[in-house]
Amino acid sequence: MTAPVLSVRNLRVEFPTRRGTLVAVDDVSFDIMPGEVLGVVGESGAGKSLTGTAIIGLIEPPGRIGAGEIRLKGERIDHLPPERMRRIRGKRIGMVFQDPLTSLNPLYRIGDQLSETILTHTDVDAGEARRRAVALLAEVGIPAPQQRVDSYPHQFSGGMRQRVVLALALAAGPELVIADEPTTALDVSVQAQIIALLKRLCRDHGAAVMLITHDMGVIAETADRVAVMYAGRIAEIGPVRDVVKAPLHPYTVGLMGSIPKPDADIDRLVQIPGTMPRLTAIPSGCPFHPRCPRAFAPCPTRRPELRPHGRAEVACWLFEPDMAEAAR
Amino acid sequence: MDAPSQPVKPDARSQGRLAAFLDNDIVYSFLRSKVTVVAAAVTLVIVLAAFLSPFIAPHDPFDLRQVSLLDSHMPPAWAAEGDRRFLLGTDDQGRDVFSTILYGARISLIVGVLAVAFAAALGIVLGLTAGYVGGAVDSLIMRAADVQLTFPAILIALLIDGTVRALFGEGRNEEMVFWVLVVSIGLSSWVAYARTVRGSTLVEKNKDYVLAARLIGLHPAVILFRHVLPNVIGPVLVIATINLGIAIILEATLSFLGVGLPPTQPSLGTMISIGNKFLFSGEWWIAIFPGITLAVLVLAVNLLGDWLRDALNPKLR
Amino acid sequence: MSAAPLVEAKDLGRVFDVSKPWLNRMVERVPRQTLAAVIDVTFAIGQRETFALVGESGSGKSTVAKLTVGLIAPTTGDVVIAGVSMNDPSRHAERQRLRRRIQMVFQDPYASLNPRWSARDIVAEPIRAFGLLRTRAEIEGQVGDLLRLVGLDPADGRKYPHEFSGGQRQRVAIARALASRPDFIVCDEPTSALDVSVQAQILNLMRDLQGRFGLTYLFISHNLAVVRHMASRIGVMYLGRLVEVGPTRDLFRAPRHPYTRMLLDAVPDLDLTGRPRKPVEGEIPNPIDPPKGCPFHPRCPFANSRCRSELPLLLSGGSTLVACHGVEEGRI
Repeated sequence: MTAPVLSVRNLRVEFPTRRGTLVAVDDVSFDIMPGEVLGVVGESGAGKSLTGTAIIGLIEPPGRIGAGEIRLKGERIDHLPPERMRRIRGKRIGMVFQDPLTSLNPLYRIGDQLSETILTHTDVDAGEARRRAVALLAEVGIPAPQQRVDSYPHQFSGGMRQRVVLALALAAGPELVIADEPTTALDVSVQAQIIALLKRLCRDHGAAVMLITHDMGVIAETADRVAVMYAGRIAEIGPVRDVVKAPLHPYTVGLMGSIPKPDADIDRLVQIPGTMPRLTAIPSGCPFHPRCPRAFAPCPTRRPELRPHGRAEVACWLFEPDMAEAAR
Repeated sequence: MDAPSQPVKPDARSQGRLAAFLDNDIVYSFLRSKVTVVAAAVTLVIVLAAFLSPFIAPHDPFDLRQVSLLDSHMPPAWAAEGDRRFLLGTDDQGRDVFSTILYGARISLIVGVLAVAFAAALGIVLGLTAGYVGGAVDSLIMRAADVQLTFPAILIALLIDGTVRALFGEGRNEEMVFWVLVVSIGLSSWVAYARTVRGSTLVEKNKDYVLAARLIGLHPAVILFRHVLPNVIGPVLVIATINLGIAIILEATLSFLGVGLPPTQPSLGTMISIGNKFLFSGEWWIAIFPGITLAVLVLAVNLLGDWLRDALNPKLR
Repeated sequence: MSAAPLVEAKDLGRVFDVSKPWLNRMVERVPRQTLAAVIDVTFAIGQRETFALVGESGSGKSTVAKLTVGLIAPTTGDVVIAGVSMNDPSRHAERQRLRRRIQMVFQDPYASLNPRWSARDIVAEPIRAFGLLRTRAEIEGQVGDLLRLVGLDPADGRKYPHEFSGGQRQRVAIARALASRPDFIVCDEPTSALDVSVQAQILNLMRDLQGRFGLTYLFISHNLAVVRHMASRIGVMYLGRLVEVGPTRDLFRAPRHPYTRMLLDAVPDLDLTGRPRKPVEGEIPNPIDPPKGCPFHPRCPFANSRCRSELPLLLSGGSTLVACHGVEEGRI
């Protein structure tokens, strides 16, 4: 039984305000195995980005990790002093953010930015660092890397920049790459390229991936397992095939149904009434119950926990064996 | 296990209206900052005192029948030789310093506020036009702004004052001096407003809600004033508050230099100017009390402006 | 389909001057630069029809949207709506009357509503601007009806945009678009900034409104799946030109132009059929300096020497129009 690369247990991210404490991520637990791609999918306000931010220790005050544990290869990394966290970031956890324009420093050549990362986190000299930078650029598909290594970010197109960002993320040989909406700002035709590249690179470098996105299509193409988040909690988590083709949680069912598909000839899209609740007004019990077409007795008052069901886990009273009887 | 929803205070709307008002973020930040509350209180006191001057001043320093040379050069009431009728002493003409401060503060405030209003109006209109129309108009306005910035404010005021004197001769009445002051100070400070409004306008004019307004065929002036202006006016308030202090000091400086308000209708600056002559003869009260008043007023207004800028900055909230 | 089309775009073209300022050009000795955002675009939309324009960034579809409603003037060509030219200066008065019947829904729900206006004022503005109703009571009543129509509570009228979610803001924008009782609405990526479940609500709403009021839509999007759901005819744009136009069903069942096929291939496989995907090459070229000949040839697996030198024309081939030498020559 291999040990997970990343282990998150009962993570809670909260924001104290003068009106009370708002909980944005509530009791979230999951593991990422070595070499695996875990997709974290959810709509805006679900707390998926905050989960990623919490893992790399970049939550801005007054936000804070209120409870829970985050372990990287067994070692606790939540609540580390900033200096130690800084060394982990980049070296052991690589990051890819959404906007390639702001991920790269416009004032420095990309070769210098790559070398800087390599030099900071590995024990090589400047010449070797540059050699590795060129090799990385070739690997991510930048044509003529020997020349382009001295270019500035603005001399690249959006897709090319995102490839450079991928190279940067992998430069120091991390065990885990956290990608937060890596393709959302790109054109459709480029998205597919970048996603395929991300998957291939991480497999070749032996890095696990936490892929955070709202785009189910990207998840279906790339991830091995997927966690569906709603109002700060995980509603369902399991192998991609199962969750996408046979979703269990009513929210996931609604989500999959509302995605327009090019092959289907349907009249009306499935729509989930209402909207994701705001942090100041999260419903009691199961947070999805006001919008759920199958809500029944325990849903408004008792909060369901993640329980195994087949190869997946789902947090829904419909799948609790004794509760399900009452539902019929 | 079954975690209840977070205990969060009820939404403002469900409270009474007064409670909702006090709960408002801006009001809350105001009340929390003691310095700001004190500054606001001080400003309020001075403003009220200045405007109620006809009613609360013990004497009318401009009524020549009340003023007597026999009362001149008297020290404050608590000193020896002081007279309880004249709380802070009298000046060389026999005018009560306290009363003159009240009237003087009123004039200083009026000139300051009018000058700021004029500068703001001019700056906003020019900024909106430059930002929205763009092209040659924008360049023209911005170059005019650059030119204006190279002139120190005092120089502009002196220039305008000198021009008016030359055109209308020395015997012009005080009304004119007043407006010359307002216009000079206003002209020397419109650029800050114009620049910030222009910058914000450049951003807002490409936003979709402006396109939507253009789509229904609204006249550009209507779009500028009803749609764009409310969204660019925030920083203007902050600049105006801080400029008020500068305007008051500017007016005081001009009056001190003798090109502002005359001694017959003194502002705080004029009084300092008059009192300056008597500082070395030991009659300190003629200059010091107006000076303290001026300093306190400007400080309070500046502190208010500081708070306003922080309160309106969404990033700090 | 009914007789005359409601909206016609004829050889629409728009060129932007993107030169550096005069002083820079003098000093750096750089020539003027122009960007041809839209070139030779022709299409027609019948009443109650939804015509979609699909393309990625730089395709010019947003520019076409703005040209169609008259927000910018074309450099060449014309737009004719209900028989009235949008750019003929002699028909100014008719155009003014026409404005009431044309509306637009924008992409960014955070920028399309004035943050300082209440929802009620935002929705009432077209009513007031066109003088459709007189008294305040009438206007408020109408605003309430419109809000209800788009699935909001009339009491929400007094809220400000920041108090709404993205999807609700878009509903307010739709209510505003409906306020002047238009016949034709241009929708510029109305759901691209919304979550998937909210998108479904808004798309369903738009379809319902179309059925109810007989609206005509020009629907702009980069998402082929969304467009499939909404439009009866689709035009695919690349670097400012139309490369394929045809009925939705035909276009999806048998796409002809290589770019259309590439776009369809790029749509994620949510059914996990594991269908083989052709690896996609390259990116959209810089529109300031487009390739010679067919603009798609650098990325096209079927490009030959003719493609590299000669621009293909939009030619009819069955039920669709395609601009491709390969299709014309029967190679593809």
